[in-house]
Order: sequence, then structure tokens, then C-alpha cells
Amino acid sequence: MNNPLREGMRLARVAEPCVVVIFGASGDLAKRKLLPALYRLVQQRLIPAESAIVGLARTPMNDDEFRALMRSAIDEYNGEERIDEEVWQSFAQGIFYLTSDIKNADDYRKLDELLKRLDRERGTQGNRLFYLSVAPELYRDAVGQLGQAGLTRPEKGWTRVVVEKPFGYDLQSARDLNTFILQHLDESQIYRIDHYLGKETVQNLLVFRFANGIFEPLWNRQYIDHVQVTNAETVGVEARGAYYEKSGVVRDMIQNHVFQVLALMAMEPPAHLGAEAVRDEKVKAMMAARPFTHERVRAETVRGQYGAGAINGEAVPAYREEKNVAPDSRTETFAMLTMYFDNWRWSGVPFFVRSGKRLPKRVTEIAIQFKDAPHQLFDEKTMEQVTPNQLVIRVQPDEGITMRFAAKVPGQTTRIRDVNMDFRYGASFGVELAEAYERLLLDCVLGDSTLFARKDMTERGWEIVMPILEEWSEPHENVSFPNYEAGTWGPQSSHQLIQNTGRRWRRP
Amino acid sequence: MQTQTHQHMAGGSASEGIDVDGLERELSSMWAELTREKDGEDSSPSVMRACVLNLILYSQHDDREKIDTLLDEVTVSHPCRSLVLIADRETTEAHLNAYVSTRCQLNARGTKQICGEQVTIEAGGAVVERIASAVAPLLVPDVPVFLWWKDVPNEDDKLFNRLAEMSDRIVVDSASSHHPYEDLRRFSRMIAGRGGDMRASDLNWGRLTSWCAVVAHFWDVPDYRPYLDAIDRVRIDYDPPESAPEEVSAQALLVAGWLASRLGWQVETTGTESRERNKSTLMRAGERVINIEWRALKGVSGCERMISSLTFTSEETGAEFQVRWKQERTKLETSVKIGDEQKVSRVLAYEGRTDGERLSSELGILSRDVVYEQSLAAAAHLIETLRAREK
Repeated sequence: MNNPLREGMRLARVAEPCVVVIFGASGDLAKRKLLPALYRLVQQRLIPAESAIVGLARTPMNDDEFRALMRSAIDEYNGEERIDEEVWQSFAQGIFYLTSDIKNADDYRKLDELLKRLDRERGTQGNRLFYLSVAPELYRDAVGQLGQAGLTRPEKGWTRVVVEKPFGYDLQSARDLNTFILQHLDESQIYRIDHYLGKETVQNLLVFRFANGIFEPLWNRQYIDHVQVTNAETVGVEARGAYYEKSGVVRDMIQNHVFQVLALMAMEPPAHLGAEAVRDEKVKAMMAARPFTHERVRAETVRGQYGAGAINGEAVPAYREEKNVAPDSRTETFAMLTMYFDNWRWSGVPFFVRSGKRLPKRVTEIAIQFKDAPHQLFDEKTMEQVTPNQLVIRVQPDEGITMRFAAKVPGQTTRIRDVNMDFRYGASFGVELAEAYERLLLDCVLGDSTLFARKDMTERGWEIVMPILEEWSEPHENVSFPNYEAGTWGPQSSHQLIQNTGRRWRRP
Repeated sequence: MQTQTHQHMAGGSASEGIDVDGLERELSSMWAELTREKDGEDSSPSVMRACVLNLILYSQHDDREKIDTLLDEVTVSHPCRSLVLIADRETTEAHLNAYVSTRCQLNARGTKQICGEQVTIEAGGAVVERIASAVAPLLVPDVPVFLWWKDVPNEDDKLFNRLAEMSDRIVVDSASSHHPYEDLRRFSRMIAGRGGDMRASDLNWGRLTSWCAVVAHFWDVPDYRPYLDAIDRVRIDYDPPESAPEEVSAQALLVAGWLASRLGWQVETTGTESRERNKSTLMRAGERVINIEWRALKGVSGCERMISSLTFTSEETGAEFQVRWKQERTKLETSVKIGDEQKVSRVLAYEGRTDGERLSSELGILSRDVVYEQSLAAAAHLIETLRAREK
């Protein structure tokens, strides 16, 4: 039944009342991201106040203790915004906790009873969002038990399940996990979350490309010389040494986050903005990615591992000296891939992708370098300070877009210099950008899966990187680690590889 | 975020008008000076000149402090070129002065300062009618033009009409209206008369957004939705305008207009009552008759000219839905009662914004606000019924 009072309202994207069930509710992700994001959504009335949150974890707690835990998490991670005591009290009435073992069927019966009670008391109508904020090896247990308890096929309302990364360890495990989950859920119920897609600039890629008339005609091999994607972190592995040892940067960042951004950059215009149309085009673009043969891996990729160095003037240890990391670890903390999309739009255009830890600056950006003017009127000396036109899309931090072009330096002689035309979200809109999780959680409860990875996209991501992971795990591979100093832009070989093509890495 | 301003006198006279080129030159030299002061010769600029829109502010009073506060808040989210027109229409002595200034956000160390610019024109006497001709060449091209004309304008005001023609959107605040009946009807006529060409915002409508969202949300809950079609009484409590205590406040009229226009309620020509502080009118939705009742509650803390509660009841089903202020306009409290069963009540945040912040949010909207226009038209219709009855 439609609500005529909603028609034309400025706050149009308001969800139906629902219950958000968080598996791993006492964990780090829940405290840092999920709970503050849910509070903000309720506070902004984007999620109705009738909605409820149910936390599940093994830690014994009652509702009030969980509410207190949640409150302290929100106090700590909600930024500078002060929490309104009365609004919090009203919100807290809708927070519940069940001490439960993810593998115990009895606990799912208790959950079912609680959810039915909340439907009656709060009018949540059978709408449930299950958020798997647990270790990946527990995904099967959670989904399997939800399925066994009949919680994935509701009699009324909707049921959606959010799965965090990493989605699988390799292609086979991703396929197995997809097959298993799809025994209990339809694809439309699965929300594989990639928080990069919740970032404003990533979403702006679609707007930038398809809402403007001037860029799309240039967006092809005719005018673009190459594309550089840089995803740099200054942090090391911190407390995640054990996880990272089994993962490495290709699994942790490139196969998911970087490929999602790359797909938005390389895709064709979708027929419309529906979730399936956008995701179809993204997969189609990634299907055109040239496969990495073992020869290509050796010739067109670079891997690295950081040694001791300094970040922002502070001495930092080598990767092999980090906690829970083997002293002879072969795990890569830096990777560079040269990718090609073998289709009409991108044929012959290299996409240089690099991602790494302990690099000098935290930055994620896409730099599109255009070809030189076909004929140069100005002499070499005049042009010496000029580089090709570049369009840089800054994903984080300081989100924005910069266009670089040549301009005459004022004066009696003709001297030409590069200048930048800047668009900064902060300067043009002056608003705090919403946290990625806030946007993505709202999309989940609204049932909009556009910004979530589909089964075929996750598997395609793995297909592309598998030859790289296999080649790098070969015993004959004898790259000497560490091969870059913390606080530098990766191994020298990554600079050499791009220079071999007559190009160079941009300094972000 | 705080802002800081730098101001320069830029001339102008009643006989010669304003030297627009001179103003632009003065602004350019101010920017150059500002950049040099902040950066020295060799560093990259720490000041960024930004302009996302033109904002024309018209004021009949020399209330610079209020305008400064308003612009400080606007600059935070919309660095712009603001053209402040301070008009003295009462005086017979013609005068004209102009100033330029920059307005910068004070930001964190190490980040660029985002700055907008301001041209202030003071005019008195006959010159006032001509200042629109000085505004046109001062507008920055390719960015939208907003006109902030706080009082509800007159249809035959030439200056307003000239400025409105060059603007993409007009922003008023009907809460400042001394005679809501007359002002709302006139504004509705003006919008309707221009056949959709005049895009308008009303800060008072912005203040209602949260109320409307909370009210609409009652019937987002599928269990409650059937009760919406059974409502037979709406009570609107409001603080009456001091200048016209016998009139219902603009906001209380707009909210009734919103309900009528969204729900297709038609005004009944009979059944309007006016008893001292209470007024009511009957509306019809098919066979159902709905009694709209406005109750003037003077002195409800902090609710000047605003609504203080909305109550929807249905005699047939025994349902009652209510939204009301809680704690001096910082929160809204909602409650639902079905028969004898009191459902859980909720306390929700209400974004108590300043006028500058409200104006800022209106500056983010360029399209027609059809819901506002329809609500205003329905409110004007209700006013006619109320007035007809009073006569």
C-alpha cells in the first residue's frame, strides 16, 4: 500500500522498518563502523525508529550490557558529533542481544523467537538484514544455520544477508562459497559488501562519466594514452599479521576494491541505472581484461615487501618484524599489475595498477593520462615544463577531481606551464561526506544492490588474479624480500616496468 | 566553522551609479593581496577563491550583523558571490554606495582556505528602483542565481520583479510574515501566475520538513497504513503571530495545505468555525469528512509562529497519531495509540538549524518544489474559506 504523504518529499530514500541482525556484534568492525553508521541512519530518520538491532556473539551479555557497549562504541567512533541522550535512549530501546554460538542450531531457534516478537512489538514486518561481521570461515556456518532454521526464506517481508570481504581465498573457494550460499539464498538476497563502492567519489565516477557530455567522447583508446590506479596505504599490517600472511595485497585489496573501481572506470554505459544493468556492464568490462599468462606475470607485474623505513618521520619496522609474521615471509605487501582490456574501447591502452602498504602517503586515485596533441606548434624549450593532459579522480582522502592542462605563463615571452583545474567535494559542496558504511547499510535496507558485488564479479576478480598468485607461489620464484623501504613508492622494479613503456608513475 | 572577512570601499554615487568594472578590479586586487598575505611568493596558494552560485540578498533594513551571520553560515557550504542590497525606500534622499569584501572559512591548519566574495550596495530613495541594473553585470556567469527576499514580496514591486527575472530561484521566509493570510495568498498567486517559471523556496517550509517526514513515517509502517484512510480529525497546535493574533500562522496553514494536497482532501464550503483562539474547517475525502482544527497556544516555549503539535485521530478505529515538540524544539516526540493500546512512543532528533543553515540547504535545490507549490495553493484555498466565514 503506497503512502501518499511520501510523494515528493525531500527525504525520499526512507527504508521500511526492519531488524538488523549483526553476527560478530562485539567485534571490531561492528564497533568501529556498523553501530555508529546505524545510529546515524536512525538519527537522520533514514531508517525508521521502529527498526531494531539484534547483536549476536559468543561473549555473554544481556541487552543492557550490549547497549552500554554500543553506546561506548558510538561515543568513540561517531566523530565529533555529540550524542543526544534522549534520542539515544529511544534508539536503545530497539537494541537487543543474544549470546549465541554461530554453530549452534538452538541459538537460531532463540533468534527466530526474538525476531517474531520484534515483528509483533515493533511492526518490523518480517524484514531482516543479517550482517556477517565474522571471520570468513564462519560464513558457511551462519548461512547454513539460518537456512536450516528457516530464516532465509521468510513467510513475509524480506531477508537479506550482507557478506564482508574476503569473499573466498581463491577462485575455487569463492565458487564453493557462492554455491553453498546460493543453496540457501537467492542472488538477490546476497549483498557482498565492498566499502570502496560506498565512497562518494567512486559513485561519482558514474555521474562524472555518464551525466556529462564532454568526457565520454574522450573516454577511449583514441584519446587516452594510459590509466594509472594507485591505492596506497601508509599503515603496515598492524594487528592483522596472521590474516595478512595468508592474504597479501592482491587478495586483500586488488582482487576486490581495486577491481571494483577499475570496472567502473572501464565499463560501457549501462542501459539504465538499475542494479543489474550496472553490474552487467561491470562484469562485461572485467571479462575483457586480458588474462595473465605465466609469461605476462613475469613480464608485466611486480611484487614487493616492505623493509624497515620511516613514515611521516617515524621509524617503522619491516614487514617480517611485524607481530604474527614469519621472519622469512614471502607475502607481498606491494603489487603492480599492467592490465589491458581487449575490447573496442580500450584496445592497446595500458592500465597500470599498484597497491601497497607502508607507502609515503595514504591515497587512492585514478589518473587518466591523455595523448599528446597530434602536432606540436611550440618548440621544445617552451614546452619543457609541460606534461600531457591528465584527469585525476581522487577517491580518498580529499575526494575530488583535478584536470591538468597547459597554460601560458603571463609575460612578454611564450612560456607554457601546467596548471590544475580543481574540483574538491569539500570546496564545492561544503558537506561532510557520509561514511561509506552508512550509505551501503542504507542501500541494503532499501534493497538497492547496485553498489554490491555480484557472484560473477567476485569470481571474475579471482579468475584474473589466480595466475599471478600461482606464479608468485612457485618455489622457483626468487624475488628477494624485502625489496622496498617503508615510506617509498614501492620497489624500483615497479618504476622500471612503467618506464620501459616510455611512461612514469605520477606522484600522487 | 568560523569565517573571516576583509572589506574594501569601492565607491558609487547616486548620480553616476556604480562603477561595475571598478568593483571587479577592486575584487581582483583584494584577491591578489589576500593570496600574497597568506602565501608569500613561493608557496602554493593556501587560499582558494570559490564560487558555486550567486546569492542576491535584499534587505530593507540596515541589519548588517544579521546578514553577516547569515552569510558566514552560507559560505561554509556554498562559497559564492553574494550581492547584498540594503535598500532604504523610505528616504527621499538618493544615495548609493558599494563595498567589496571576501569571506573565508577559517579552516584547519595546512588545508586550503575556501573563500567567497561579497559586493554590498547601499541605496536610498529613487536609486533603489535602479539597482537591479547594477546587479546584472555583477553576476558570475555559468553558476545559478538565488534571490533571498526575506519578506513575502509584492507582485507589483518592480525591483523584485527585475531581480526575480535574473534569478533561478527565489527564497522567502513566510515565518516573518505579519499577515499570513494575505501574504500566503499573494505568494501562491505569484507562483501560479508565472506558470512554473518562478521556482520558489520558503524557509518556513524547510522548517516543516522534519514534521512532515515524521508524520509520513507513521504510515510507512504497513500495520498502520489503513488508519490513514480513516482519519476524521486533525488538530494543529500553533503559536499565533503577534502582529495578527486572529490569524492562523503561516506554518500551521502550510502543514494543513500539505495534508490536503497530498491526501486529496477537498475544502467543504460549509462547516468553517472561528471561535477566539480556535478555528476549524471541514474537508472531504469521498464520503469521509475530516475536521481540521487549529488551536492557538500562546507562549508555548520557543515555538514562535511555529506549530507545536499535530494530532490525527479516527473516531471509527479509535486510533490516534501524534507528533509534538519535546524540550524546547530540540526533539520531536511521537506516539501512536490504537484503541486502548498505547504503542511505543519515540523521541527523535530535530535539527534545530539557524536561518543561515536553512538558507544553505535551500541553495542546494534548483528544481521546482511542486509539493510546496501545491501545499501553498491548498493553504491559500483554506485561507479563503476561513476569511469568507469571518466576513
